[in-house]
Amino acid sequence: MLQVLFILFIPIFGGVIYGFERVVKARMQNRVGPPILQPFYDMYKLLDKQPFMINSYHIVFALLHMVVLWICVAMIVLGMDLLYIIFIHLLSSIFLVLAGYSVRSVYSHLGSNRELLTIVAYEPILILIAIGFYIINGTFDISTIWGSDSLILYLFPLFLSLVLIVPIKLKKSPFDAASAHQEIVGGVEVEFSGVFFEILYMAKWIEYIFIYSLVFLFAGDSLILGFILSIFVFLVVNLVDNSTARVKIEHLVKIVLAIGLILATLNIWGLSYV
Amino acid sequence: MFNFKQYRKKSPWILHYNAGSCNGCDIEILACLSPKYDLERFGVINTGNPKQTDIFLVTGPVTFRSRERIVELYTQIPEPKVVVAVGSCACTGGVFRGMYNVEDGIDRYIPVDVYIPGCATTPELIIDGVVKALEVLEDKTKKIERPLKLFKNEELKDGVVHRENMAKRVEDDK
Repeated sequence: MLQVLFILFIPIFGGVIYGFERVVKARMQNRVGPPILQPFYDMYKLLDKQPFMINSYHIVFALLHMVVLWICVAMIVLGMDLLYIIFIHLLSSIFLVLAGYSVRSVYSHLGSNRELLTIVAYEPILILIAIGFYIINGTFDISTIWGSDSLILYLFPLFLSLVLIVPIKLKKSPFDAASAHQEIVGGVEVEFSGVFFEILYMAKWIEYIFIYSLVFLFAGDSLILGFILSIFVFLVVNLVDNSTARVKIEHLVKIVLAIGLILATLNIWGLSYV
Repeated sequence: MFNFKQYRKKSPWILHYNAGSCNGCDIEILACLSPKYDLERFGVINTGNPKQTDIFLVTGPVTFRSRERIVELYTQIPEPKVVVAVGSCACTGGVFRGMYNVEDGIDRYIPVDVYIPGCATTPELIIDGVVKALEVLEDKTKKIERPLKLFKNEELKDGVVHRENMAKRVEDDK
């Protein structure tokens, strides 16, 4: 029952985290920052604009992207199969890419191309994380992971490679080339306006919950360790966001695959000796 | 029901366009977003995308080639929207009034709501102007607003309003 309530309010929790993050980012830059509930003010304002629509496929793909992402996080809360969840997440990213290709706008196509390249960069690492959990537990089931002890000591390099991917998923520097605001005017988001942009904005909030629940997986049984890990990842990602510049898309793929994939493979190879 | 209009002034998103300016007023606008005069505490985001903005900040006297672009950008902003003319050049042409290469100010092409004087303006004036523009924005309706010159009419196909390619192309010898 509690789980069903949590699933229904996932965007609201994600919105509060997103708003809080803007405040933390502003304080790090010696500014004050917007109010914490700012994402919800943005949402109400976007609902009140004149709707612009190009074609219906564009909107439907964006809607599918958000709904499938919501379902993906709901599946994590209900404790289902981890590998299956990663593939459902891949499906929602593919919907976003298709939304970008469904209009005849150059910036949209560029954004979709870059989004596909980032999928090539981070997807192997997510799968290797699932395999790491499988080698120790014998099953991909998330409820087993939550029932046993914390595996952070056995899977520490995998945790580091997850922290490497977090800036890509949350669209932060140095890995935010896929929706680069100043270069390609937002990438896939360029042709969305009003209530349709609200759909993508809300999907961004749900993505926060998805990533932080993957971080929670490494804490296993203890909730306190999960919160400590989440706060650590939150602060590190914001610090890196404020202090680095954006890397080019080809360098993004090379850096993430070189560092992340090698760390993850070393961990999997080391697990065979445990 | 739920009053959505009060939220318009809580999250104004800005599009900043330079219509031939000397960049002085542009630098002052960017200074508003820096830590000293922090505009982001009002929820202001500088988006580069006209489809996601409410406030259109224009600097510069309108040069020949930027006339079509101003009209095109203005029609791509969804209603309700406000236009703020930043700097003397955008208001009346500034020091270049009457010259052969500029149109005197942007209010020959698009309807302007707030004029901010100064050459170059200061960030305090820009913040005052944006706050005044938010008060104007709160009273606006979602009726489609048209530019004043150089535009084609929007078409109505099957009850859906189409607004594409709204700026009339200007020939070079006119």
